[in-house]
Amino acid sequence: MIIKTFVKETKESWRDGRVRIAFLIVLLLLAMAVWVGVRQYQNVNEQYRTAKNTERILWDNQGEKNPHSAAHYGTYAFKPKYPLSLVDQGVDKYVGTSIFLEAHKRNEAQFSAAADQTGLARFGDLTPDFILLFIIPLLIILLGYNSFTKEREMGTYTLLKSQGASNWKWAMGKWMSLFIPIFAITALLFLITGILLSNLKDFGVFKWQSLLTMFVIYMGYYIIFINIVLIISSRAKKSGIALVLSLSVWILACLAAPKAASNIAEAKHPYPTRQEFAANVLKDKKDGLDGHNPWSKESKLLEQQVLAEHGVDSLHQLPFNFDAYRMQKGEEHEAEVYFKHYNYLKDQFAQQSKVYKGLAIISPYLPTRFLSMAVAQTDYATHWDFADAAEDYRIATQKFLNDHFAENSNYGDWSYQADANFWVGLPSFEYDPPELGEILTDNTSSLWILGAWLALSFSILLITTKTI
Amino acid sequence: MISTKDLTKKFGDLTAVDHLSLSVKEGELLCLLGANGAGKSTTINMLLNFVAPTSGSATINGLDATRHPIKTKEFITYIPENLMLYPMLTAIENLDYFSGITGRQLAQSSLTGFLEEAGLQKDAFHKRISTFSKGMRQKVGIAIALAKDTKVLLLDEPTSGLDPKASNEFGNLLQKLRGKGVAILMATHDLFRAKVVATHIGIMKDGKLVQQFVADDISLPQLEKTYLETMNYKEVLS
Amino acid sequence: MLRYNFIYELRILLRSRWIQLLSLLLLLLFGFSAFNGKEKVEKRKVDIAAAKQEVLDTDQSMLKLLDSVERGMAVSASPWTIPTSPMAVANYYPRVVAMDPQPMAFVSTGQADIFTHYVKPTATGDDFALNFTEMTSPVQLLFGSFDLAFVIVYLLPLLIIAFSYNVLSSEKESGSLRLLASQPISIRKWVFQKLILRFFWLSVLVVTTLVLVILIVGIQPLEWSKVFGLLGLALSYMLFWFSLAFLVNLYVGSSAKNAVSLLGLWVVFVLLVPSVLNQLAGTLYPMPSRTLMINEMRERKVEATKRQDEILDNFLRDHPEYAINDSTQTRSFYHNYMASQKVVKEELAPIVNAYETQLKKQQSWSRQLQWTSPAIVVQESLNNLSGTSTADYENYRRQVIAFSESWREHFMSFLYNNTLFKSEDHTNLPQFQYHALGQSGVPKAILILLAMALVLLGLGFAVQGATRQKGILAD
Repeated sequence: MIIKTFVKETKESWRDGRVRIAFLIVLLLLAMAVWVGVRQYQNVNEQYRTAKNTERILWDNQGEKNPHSAAHYGTYAFKPKYPLSLVDQGVDKYVGTSIFLEAHKRNEAQFSAAADQTGLARFGDLTPDFILLFIIPLLIILLGYNSFTKEREMGTYTLLKSQGASNWKWAMGKWMSLFIPIFAITALLFLITGILLSNLKDFGVFKWQSLLTMFVIYMGYYIIFINIVLIISSRAKKSGIALVLSLSVWILACLAAPKAASNIAEAKHPYPTRQEFAANVLKDKKDGLDGHNPWSKESKLLEQQVLAEHGVDSLHQLPFNFDAYRMQKGEEHEAEVYFKHYNYLKDQFAQQSKVYKGLAIISPYLPTRFLSMAVAQTDYATHWDFADAAEDYRIATQKFLNDHFAENSNYGDWSYQADANFWVGLPSFEYDPPELGEILTDNTSSLWILGAWLALSFSILLITTKTI
Repeated sequence: MISTKDLTKKFGDLTAVDHLSLSVKEGELLCLLGANGAGKSTTINMLLNFVAPTSGSATINGLDATRHPIKTKEFITYIPENLMLYPMLTAIENLDYFSGITGRQLAQSSLTGFLEEAGLQKDAFHKRISTFSKGMRQKVGIAIALAKDTKVLLLDEPTSGLDPKASNEFGNLLQKLRGKGVAILMATHDLFRAKVVATHIGIMKDGKLVQQFVADDISLPQLEKTYLETMNYKEVLS
Repeated sequence: MLRYNFIYELRILLRSRWIQLLSLLLLLLFGFSAFNGKEKVEKRKVDIAAAKQEVLDTDQSMLKLLDSVERGMAVSASPWTIPTSPMAVANYYPRVVAMDPQPMAFVSTGQADIFTHYVKPTATGDDFALNFTEMTSPVQLLFGSFDLAFVIVYLLPLLIIAFSYNVLSSEKESGSLRLLASQPISIRKWVFQKLILRFFWLSVLVVTTLVLVILIVGIQPLEWSKVFGLLGLALSYMLFWFSLAFLVNLYVGSSAKNAVSLLGLWVVFVLLVPSVLNQLAGTLYPMPSRTLMINEMRERKVEATKRQDEILDNFLRDHPEYAINDSTQTRSFYHNYMASQKVVKEELAPIVNAYETQLKKQQSWSRQLQWTSPAIVVQESLNNLSGTSTADYENYRRQVIAFSESWREHFMSFLYNNTLFKSEDHTNLPQFQYHALGQSGVPKAILILLAMALVLLGLGFAVQGATRQKGILAD
């Protein structure tokens, strides 16, 4: 019965020209999106490698220089592009790709791609995630909106009922006929992507498990849509009504809810403006030790403390350069200030995330979007992780420079210059994004929401088809 | 008033109407009998220019229906098998709308007059069509014909699905219209009603008009016998 | 026919509760989105006002400090922040360079969520490194904003599709078409009238709800010409979609097919064409890599630092006006720094300009091709109307750079003349006033949209002959 219905439904939809055309168009779009994505990915990674190498060469060849001048000269941390960004670009376009690491200051990532694009960019890009998240659900609606209503309209429904067909098996057949083609098209896309990625030259970070996880997430998303479309079709009186209702669900879930969520989240938990943020940081910095200011109250306090600790009565008697030591202490204070303020941003975002999760009740799109970005390592959390790693590296670099300055010169000796070959000693910045397991544990709530959607939609489908 | 000459319609290989020539004069009622697919409805559709003939001509009041579709429709009222009106509007509103869009502005009193003449009960005038039975909807259809002062009435299976009483009422309405000089062409399966209301009867088969009688010249059993013979149902009779 | 269609269409729409449903929906959508827009604009205003107030406050304390120093009193501030030094004023007392919202800013968020609306350029800061992006969660940027432009560009067409996809096909499916088609009227004209009437009623609803919402939101100095621009855009965009619905109603067939076709067109015009154009713009006029720009910038700076003394000498020779009254010939860190910064800036100008020219090329290219999708025409025009388009932010950026140039120059003459900054100099500090772009191009956009709609409607009537030959219900 299940197989029979499946075969009949598949034949019916294949013989329908519209379905064939729609299917072909989706395939074509996917192919285009993947092609564009691969090119972009290679291009960006090439630039990343060049930039990283050039920057390191600049750093290594600074020549003889005071370590603190080098600290002000600074260095850059560049964000690599991860293989799965090919499938889901996530927020990559909207976050910067390079962070300037300098003394006294934590900088934000600069130069987001969106800022360098025209207003057209805001319509969205032709990327696989756009097709996976928006167009395939539309395809499901197109394939399935009249699954049940057409039987009623053609009168075949009463005939089927009089044959003693089991509702459940009948519905399963219909479900399969929607699921199998969607499964096939998605599997094809993921398979091609996987093969493409594993054939790219250095695919070091690419893992099949992540791709598979993503695939499972999208299949969950589609199953929810299939269930919703079938529920509507089994309850609606006419095909037209079923179509309009299914589309309304799509509009609400994929277009309206995310935008509304973003507005509500911003209104309820706003970020400070860039200038406000800078002003707040400055204010807190002033309340503590400034490494460059030996006359401040905090400096004097530190002086007394260090003198007491070493049991000497003049800074010149200390075994290290106190200027550099103070510089390092100031650096630590500033790092703390930044830590506090960036944590405030994170808290705000955590609050915003709650709004998004709350609205996931009306939109399975939201948890899917967040999970997909997370697995692709293109989400906001990964960006934070990268920024934090860069900040840790910045702090370590400052310590490396200040310690060298302190140990190799005497108090007041600002003219000290480190050797030309000293700079090579600084370890280079390496960033490893979180592993899949870690990502999934961080996103358990989204997984639960998606699971709840699945369970709920399945049970409603079962109940409605029973009483059809 | 209604006439066709060598009217032919082919749908691909299938010839639905094959060189059909007939004529219905003022005050006449021609009933077309025939099995499903004999070409009765296609003939009516060609008279209305719903489908264009492959060859031959259909004329209404001397005008070619294909070349002057809008002009000829001024004389025609058509009541399809299942007459559907606007369910959200009342009987009187439907009548007003269909008269109005063809440029006939009617006063409220004449609207009620036509509905009354068509035999609709007074309490139904202001009820929405969604509550109406098929018989009641047909009465509104007749009222539309009356309001239009129609010269030609085309009916497609008007009595199917009507109970005998409604069917009888409908027959009486047709007699009344015929009396006013309306030429009526009616496609039906209902031999009894055909015998009662028609002035002429024709039997169609495979798109051809194979038998034609004056209604008064034939009795009902004879009509049935001829009909079945034409349809090759001889074995049923013997 | 029109009179009767008018009367009865309204009755049917009222009885089937379409009008009520649409009014409610429009009120909700317009209300929510306008409220969102207004909230954003308010926040923007408050932020700018607060920043300006802060400048006023710090200016007061600066004047107090100056006063104390001038009267020879001891001050507790760090020596390099004391405002008698012109560079201290130039760096620690920057002005707020703000882009004030336009009166219609609440209509479209446009690029307003990406870019900041005020910066405080200092004399030593790099202009090209000035960060014009706003601190926003990228998730918000990704999802976009539920603003009026979103409702008009994305949702209004969907409402129109739901409202008009089955005007003819439902008559066919319910059976009333046979009676209608037997009347001496042209079905094409009848469909046209029905759709125009629906367009008329929807327009009435849209105009009333929009005006109502705008009045409630109460954007103070309402510029009515701009409100008319907004209404004109919305209505001509609606007419475009009704014309499409007209064509689809005539040529497609069953309700389901109509709905699917119209929806397909929606996906094409609203989602696909813009993203493909964007992709193409990026491929045709690729942005040079920002990461590589950083490399370049750093290399030039290293160069400049090495040649500091030489640069300063050259600079002073080239710009005698900066040091006409200087007799002391004192040279500090800043003398070197400012001179080499100027050199680096001049050297980097072509690199930085490359971004602007590429962006300009992309923009003019997409402007030329925007007629391929009315959705782009409307979105861009709404952005222009709101003063939140890419061009507006570029205009702002240019003005900021010009201002920071004049700010720097103002202090350069102090610096190289080795004169001190005094209390009376405070009133002569450069002030910034944002000048919005003049033309919005809305009338042109409306004309383009109307032309598209007319072409579609004309197409509907042009092929009339062919179907008349075949008969109305040929299929």
